[in-house]
This record gives sequence, C-alpha cells and structure tokens, in this order.
Amino acid sequence: MTAETLILKEINIFPELFLGIALIYLVLHGTFLSMRNSYPLIQNSMIYLGSLVLILCFILMLNEKLYVLDSITMNNSISNDYSSFISKTLITLLSLICLLMIQPYLNAKKLNQFEYVLLLLFSILGLYILCSSNDLITAYLAIELQTLSFYVLAAFNRNSTFSIDAGIKYFILGSLSSALFLFGSSLIYGVSGTINFSEFKDLFVGPLKEYGNYQYVYTGSLSEYFSTISESHSLGMSKFISYLSLYLMSNIEDLSNYSLIKEELVDFDVNVLIDQLCVFNVIVEKYDVLLGSHVMEYFKGGIALNNFYDSSPSITLSNNAGFLKFLGTAEYFPLGDIFFGVPLTYFNTEVIAFALMLILISLFFKLAIVPFHSWAPDVYEGSPSSSTFFFSVVPKIAIFILTLRIFYYSFHSFFDTWIYLVSYIIVLSVLVGSFGGLEQRKLKSLLVYSSISHMGYALIAFNSGIFNNLQILFCYLIVYSFSSLCIWSIFIFTRVKNNRLKKQNKDLTDLVALYKSNYTLAGFFSVILFSIAGFPPMIGFLVKINVFSTALESSMYFVALISILCSVIATFFYIRIVKIIYFEKIEVGKLYYPITTEKVFILSGLLWLSIFLFINPTLLFLMSYKFSLLFSYTGC
Amino acid sequence: MVINFLFFVFSFLILLSSLMVVVVQNSVYSVLFLVLSFVSSAGLLLIFECEFLALMFVIVYVGAIAVLFLFIVMMLDIKIVSSNKDTIKYFPVGLILGSIFSLEILVIVNENFKKNFYSSSVNNNYYVNWFDKLDKFSDIESLGQLIFTQYVLQFLIAGNILLLATIAVVVLTINTNSKQKTQNIFKQISRTHKNVLLLT
Repeated sequence: MTAETLILKEINIFPELFLGIALIYLVLHGTFLSMRNSYPLIQNSMIYLGSLVLILCFILMLNEKLYVLDSITMNNSISNDYSSFISKTLITLLSLICLLMIQPYLNAKKLNQFEYVLLLLFSILGLYILCSSNDLITAYLAIELQTLSFYVLAAFNRNSTFSIDAGIKYFILGSLSSALFLFGSSLIYGVSGTINFSEFKDLFVGPLKEYGNYQYVYTGSLSEYFSTISESHSLGMSKFISYLSLYLMSNIEDLSNYSLIKEELVDFDVNVLIDQLCVFNVIVEKYDVLLGSHVMEYFKGGIALNNFYDSSPSITLSNNAGFLKFLGTAEYFPLGDIFFGVPLTYFNTEVIAFALMLILISLFFKLAIVPFHSWAPDVYEGSPSSSTFFFSVVPKIAIFILTLRIFYYSFHSFFDTWIYLVSYIIVLSVLVGSFGGLEQRKLKSLLVYSSISHMGYALIAFNSGIFNNLQILFCYLIVYSFSSLCIWSIFIFTRVKNNRLKKQNKDLTDLVALYKSNYTLAGFFSVILFSIAGFPPMIGFLVKINVFSTALESSMYFVALISILCSVIATFFYIRIVKIIYFEKIEVGKLYYPITTEKVFILSGLLWLSIFLFINPTLLFLMSYKFSLLFSYTGC
Repeated sequence: MVINFLFFVFSFLILLSSLMVVVVQNSVYSVLFLVLSFVSSAGLLLIFECEFLALMFVIVYVGAIAVLFLFIVMMLDIKIVSSNKDTIKYFPVGLILGSIFSLEILVIVNENFKKNFYSSSVNNNYYVNWFDKLDKFSDIESLGQLIFTQYVLQFLIAGNILLLATIAVVVLTINTNSKQKTQNIFKQISRTHKNVLLLT
C-alpha cells in the first residue's frame, strides 16, 4: 500500500523529487570528498554539480508541460497550474545564474565548505514547493524549509561576528513571523475546518461579507425602498452598505435566467435607477458591512410581491444552484414580501479576517516590507555577500505567489478588509525605501533599501484588487529579479585588489572611477541602475509606468502621487552611484580582480535582456498575462 | 462537564507556564516551566483523545527538553549542592529494596489479572465487542494511515527539514580548520613555575 503512494502518477512533483534525491547524493559526495586527508577545494565541484542539478530540473520542468492539465494532485496539496510552472522555471533560472555568479566570491572568502551549495539547493527545493503548494500545511513546511536554510546561509561565515549576528537576528525574527503564519492558519482551520486553498475558494467566493447575524425587514415597493435608502443615505445611516447588486429578471418562474445589471458601491444616483428599473422584475441583493447582513429582495414590476407562498419561488431559489451559487448552504424562504437569507452554517468571518491579517503580516515579514522590514538592513549587511545576493533576488517571486494564492485565489472576498491597510503599507515602504537609501554609504544596504521600495511598488499592483493587474505585478517581479540579479553580479565582480580592503562590506567609494579600469562593466552598471530607476530606454521604465497606471485605474490617487514622487527621490541614489563611477574628480582609480569569460557572457545576456524587453516586451507581457488569466479564471 | 473543566485547567496551566518561561530570571526555572507547559499540552491532547500524540509529546519534548536542561546546567556552571556523594553507599540497598518492590508488583499483577475467575463458572460469558474487532482503529494506526498515504508529501518535506537541520548544525559547529588556536585548560593549569622557568 505504501509502495503505491509515490507512483508515476504523481509525476507533477517530479522536479522536486529529483532535486530532493539529488540533494542526498550531493551530501554523500561532499562528505566523502571532505573526509579525505588532503582537503581539496570542494566548492568548485559542488557549484558545478549544483548547477547541473538545477539545469536538469529546468529540463524536467520544460519537458513535461503538465500545467495544461491544471490539475491538483497529492491529495489536493500540490496545484500544478501555469503560475506554479512559470514561477518555478524562473526560480530555477535565477538561482542557476546566482549559483554561477557567487563562485569567485566563495573562493575568495575561503568559504570552502560543501554545505553552502547544499543549503542553497535546500532553499530552492523549499521555494519550488512553496510555488506549487495548495494548502496551508504544505505552504508552512515549504516556508520552513526555505527559511531554515536561509538562517544558516546568513550565519555561514563563522569567523565573522557580523555574520553570526545576522544569522541569529534572522532566525529570531523569521521564526516569529513563521509563528504568526501558524497562528493565522490554525485560526482559519478552527473556523472553517479546512486548510485547502481550493476549498477556501469554494467557501468564500463572491463579495460575501458574512453569513448570518442579520435582521433586515422591509415591506413595500421598489421605489419606496430606494427612497428609504436615499433618505437614510442622506442621514448618514446607510453608509455601511457596501454592495448593492441588482439582478434583472425576465420571468419569475425562470429564476436561473437573470443578468447582473448593476453591482457597485452604494454611491450611485438612486433616482435614476428607480426610473430605469421599476418596470422590471428585480432582485436586490444587499450587503451590509456593519450589521454583517446579506439580504435579497425580489420585486415584480417595481412592486414588491406580497404573497410569495402562492408563487412559491422559495424552493426554486434554494434549489437553483446556478443562481445561488455564492450563497452556499443558505436556505431562503419568504416572509412578507422580502426574501430572507437564513444561514445554516455560521461562520464568524471576523476571525478569518483577523487570521488573514496575521498571515499577511508574516508574509510581509518575509518580503521585508516596511513596518516589518527592520531585520532586513542588518541581516543583509551582516551575512556574506553571496547569501545576500540569493536572499534579495530569488525568494521574492515564490513568496508573492503564495500571497496571491492566499489573498487572491482563496480569500478574494475578504478584499476590503485589507485594502486600506495595504495602502498604508505601500506608502510607508515606498517612503522608507526612498529616504532610507539616501543616507547609505554602503552599497549593500543601499540595495536593501532599494529592494524595500521596489516591493512597495509591486504591492501597488497587488493592492488594486483587479485580477488583470496581477499581470503587472508579475511583470514587475520578473523585471525586478533580473535587474537585481545583474546589479548583485556586478557587486560581486568588483573585488578591489587591495589587501587592506578585504573587509566584507563595500563602500560606495570602492567603485570610484570604475570606468577607468573597466569601462564596459561601468557602462553595464549604469545601464542597469538607470533601468531599475525607471529611465525610458530600459524595461524598468515600462513596468514602473504600468504599476503607476494600475494605481490610477483603481483610484489610489494618493498612493500613486506619493510613490511617483518617491521614485523621483530614489532616482537620486541610483544616479549618485553613476556619478561616483564616472564623474568623480580623482586621479587614480582602484584595481579590480579580472572577471572570467563565462560570467561576462551571462552578464551581457542579462543586460541585453533589459534593453531588448523594452523594444519588444511581448514575451514578458504574454507570459505574465497567461499568469494573470489563471487567477482570474479561478476567481469570481 | 469534567472534561470541560479539565480543558480550562490545562489551558490555564499552558498559558501560565509559557508566560513564566519568559518572565522568570533563572534559566533553569524557565526550562522547568517549559517542561510544565509541554506536559500540560500533553494533558490537553489526552482530553482530545489523541493518546499517541500526547505520549509522543511527553517523550519527545520532555525528553529533548530534559537534555537541553542538562546542557544549560553544564554550560552555565550552576552550582548544584553535591547530594550525590553517597550514591555508591546507598546504591545496593536501594537496588535491593527497589527490585523487591517491583518484583512484588509484577507477581501481584501477574497473579491477579492472568485468569478470569468466572471462566469456570456459568457466569462466564463470551462477550465479543464486535465494534472493536471490526471497525476500531487505534490511534497509531489511523495516524500512520494518514501520514503515509494522504500526507506523504508533507512527511517527505518534514524529513527534508530534519536533514537540513542536521546539516545546518554540522556546518555551524564543525571545526574543519585544524590550525585554529585553541585553549588547552589542562595544559594551562598544570604549568608551574618549576617547569616553565629554567634557572641554571
């Protein structure tokens, strides 16, 4: 029986299985090599083997194309859709380049322990599972797998106090955020009885606020009804009514044949609607935030029906799954002339909103977004540069995928519980990222603040609440990852040939007059900096302007204004680096160690990508559009 | 009713003891409170009829925490009153008394519960609990069936996390650099002025 649990049917976790088994072989390889008396330089062989494993994973992913099935397997815990496929592929590519780029740094720092690559591969395994996880347990385990290896990667340089310090800080704060995630998940499980994202989606689909706990009785005609609404609205009574949906119906017997004509916030002109609607059969569906009520009312020809017992549409309504899909198990029966929704299942959705807030905080902790960012500058600065490289480039996509799965795929109906909070968080993170970066003297911490502000920009597209804007979000994440990959590679490459300056943290002045000693690298660096700052002939401009346009589309004018201004401010510290590279009045620059050829090939490929994608962004947009289509298909 | 009362008792104990873990200054007391919180959560699990999980809680957590406790005592060098001076003197007496006592218990249990007193009489009935025979799963059985079939992937990930933890501990503690200068305390203490200074 146990032999049949892992059969070839479960082929959609094949890359993960391969990576996990390859990891054990790598452990054996490293152990046997390092136990010899003549201790070899093991890091090179481990890096090449690790990149081989990653390339094979890449081939396995591209070869299978199982995402066309859009299946959910392993007992509903692994979802095998396009978003998981594309993000896993991107993570493989990014970490492959990352692994090749950090090789000279590891050799120069004498971090000659084979476990470094092993820990990297463990975290990549965690990220794979995180991308395709479809329930909270799997997501939590994947987060643990990923962050545990990150803690050790941060503390890897044991001879440096800063590195140990960074590791301990990362460990304590990271486990705090994991505990918040667990707390939130356990609350959700306690209230809803499930941990599966698909089941959450089925349970909480639609703009439904709360099941039960309401009393709303109204008798009268439609025009009276609207006039009472407008009166109470003018008195400030009904400002809590968040949704008012009107369903236009042709025939009372044929309740499945309806069409949604109006669904929006309550601020519409009521009188116009009355004039339009009072000749039709109308079902009014109303959500009240304050009372947590959800009322459906039926009007025939503008006049509320008096005797529903005769026409007996209640059975039709309660049995008509096509119409009442979003109401789940609620049973409807008429009283007077108004439909009552009497819930049979009681959910206290306040608890779920609270739990979602906890999960949101924990995920923002992982992404280092502002109120929860304070660990990031210390940890990124203290840990070895190769680990920082990996932290800041690779895991952001996977954590964003999990955030989208939780907050868009499963709990999109709770959208208005977190939209205002996330708006504040965006404004704060953009402000802190821009102003904090101004006073940094070290290149590493400058890049950390830059990443904080970029995560803020990415959250703008996340916060718009429209499924199509996930395209922009995904575009932004891809472009951010590749640009920061480029910047960090150049950061790793510019090793100053000076024994005195062998310290870990690199000042901005280490790059002074870089163009004299290596003008190509200087040119690359400034092009990438301009791209990430958002200057036109590079891809960074396109994604940034898209993000701001999504903010304007979804009426976040204040957020858009603040973030545009802050992006101007953030441009200052990017340009300052360019100024240090090119226009510093200094006679003698610094000498750097040479860069090997294959790394230059990769770097020029990345740079070419950033310009080519501006000229022809179809690839990027198509990929991310397909990604966003998936979420919108599974949403409302 | 009783179970509800016990639930509140255990929850209160968990809350109190986990608060005390943080509050108490002495690290040994703090570890003891941690043990108390684990034991009371095991009691909570017993109330929920998860016997296996409760026992595993006690064995794994309390056992592991006891080891941690030992480490702390070792590292912080807390002065413990040497009450174990007379261990060897009292050991044989204690061994004899203890073994006699346990033998008595063993014999009594064996004698009293071995056979049914009604087995020879007409009162003996051959009651078979068919529900237990046919339908009942033990706790371990159902846990095993769930873990090794439904949650096999999660089980594998947990195994990977354990492997990772082992590797991480090795990385952070192993001393590969044999040229590192270390302090040999025995050598330092055993130096006297006689074997250091050579006055001729």
